Amino acid sequence: MGLGPTIQRLMREYKGKVRLVIKQYPYKYRDFAFISSESVLAANEQGKFWQMHELLLKRSPKLDKESLISYAQEIGLDVARFKEALDKKSFAPLVERDLSLARSLDLYNTPTLFINGIKVVGNRPYEYYKKIIEQELKDGKK
Amino acid sequence: MGKNRLIIAFLVFLLPFTFNTSWAQEIIPLKYPEDYVKYQRANAAIELGKKLFFDRRLSGDGTMSCATCHIPEMAFSDGMDISLSYPTTKNWRNAPTLINVAFHRFFFWDGRAKSLEEQALFPVMSSFEMNLNLDYMEEKIRQVPEYRSLFFEVFRGDISKVNIAKALATFQRSLISVNAPIDSYLLGNQNALSEDAKKGYELFIGKGGCVKCHHGKALLDNRFHALGVPEKEGHIKDDQIAITRRFVAKLHGFRAYKTLKEDPGRYLISKNKKDWKAFKTPSLREVSKTAPYMHNGYFQSLEEVIDFFDKGGGKGNRVLRPLNLTEREKTALKTFLVEALTGEEIKVQPPVIP
Repeated sequence: MGLGPTIQRLMREYKGKVRLVIKQYPYKYRDFAFISSESVLAANEQGKFWQMHELLLKRSPKLDKESLISYAQEIGLDVARFKEALDKKSFAPLVERDLSLARSLDLYNTPTLFINGIKVVGNRPYEYYKKIIEQELKDGKK
Repeated sequence: MGKNRLIIAFLVFLLPFTFNTSWAQEIIPLKYPEDYVKYQRANAAIELGKKLFFDRRLSGDGTMSCATCHIPEMAFSDGMDISLSYPTTKNWRNAPTLINVAFHRFFFWDGRAKSLEEQALFPVMSSFEMNLNLDYMEEKIRQVPEYRSLFFEVFRGDISKVNIAKALATFQRSLISVNAPIDSYLLGNQNALSEDAKKGYELFIGKGGCVKCHHGKALLDNRFHALGVPEKEGHIKDDQIAITRRFVAKLHGFRAYKTLKEDPGRYLISKNKKDWKAFKTPSLREVSKTAPYMHNGYFQSLEEVIDFFDKGGGKGNRVLRPLNLTEREKTALKTFLVEALTGEEIKVQPPVIP
């Protein structure tokens, strides 16, 4: 399932206290990683980032363009709009921008989180992130 | 007359063991400069090893270096229950700290390597760690002019798998605990430990019996023990970990690898029944920085570990007996582990990679 459920749990628990910014980092040696990143951004445009994110993890490695379009239909996206975004590569510059950012930060592993600048590499238990967030919130009040 | 001879013969036989036992159950302090100079003098080799340690060229896809799982700021471990893995795979064991490995005789939880040089290349070629063919690694490193110069400078020779392993091992040997209070205390400074830590020390060498396995300079016995550490349910159910488990067992000639549901530990190497689910005794120096604990990261805190030992280990344990420690004794023991065995932070800055 990846880190998604943990992040969503943390966001529920710290609603209003923590802001989540997600950056794309498609793995360079997987054929469909880049287009999958474009897909979640296209789904995000229609307000269904997490639904697409979870479905892609569930259906991986079947992530070719045709499959992605069928997933868009499955989660109730405007398929024509979604398909157009993929055809025109509308979100490719955003993915490229995120990749450049990762390279500039010397990042090579996913998932990597920065919590107020504290770098955490790897999919870690909920308690691990919670401890850092609690400390940061505490320090922020000082 | 005959009886006297028998007694003398018996005493002569017993003495070496008596002395050996006495030595074996002591913590031996690290001394400056003896224990440092020996491992930290080969500066050029250390610097070369450090570059290789941080170089992602040592992984198949260029995303992993040794430092990915042995992070300097995390006491050269990674804080994960099981170590970080090569993309799309999963590891199955915890990444141990590299601090004080100079004093180890076996490496990895199952002790399959008998030297740091032998150890160094296992993770590089492991499919679920760095996943790089070693001959390919040699050519990748040879392609870098600066490495060619550095290898000549250090080894007066060519780039080779053997020399890459030597450089990595030399760097790892240089990572030694500095100024841990236990050393100062054992060398005579009574003020080096708080009263609670001193109580913890007495428990460590007395009622707790910890010193039986955790002794010497690195606080380990270079042996393997089956303590009955439980498997993590999530690990048993994880498809990717199952692949790794079967793969490793298959490599070691374990016949029933297809249906294996647990980590056989040292047994995979020795094929000796007594080693079933036995794992290497870890060093306890810097232990407060190396959570989670045990070969699969089963315990998140030192309190959990102390409770486990206090109860006499887990199912299948063939070593431990209940200790019946009081809560105060458990606290004192933890204070000793945290306060006495933690040295100064070993600061290693990522080097410039050629």
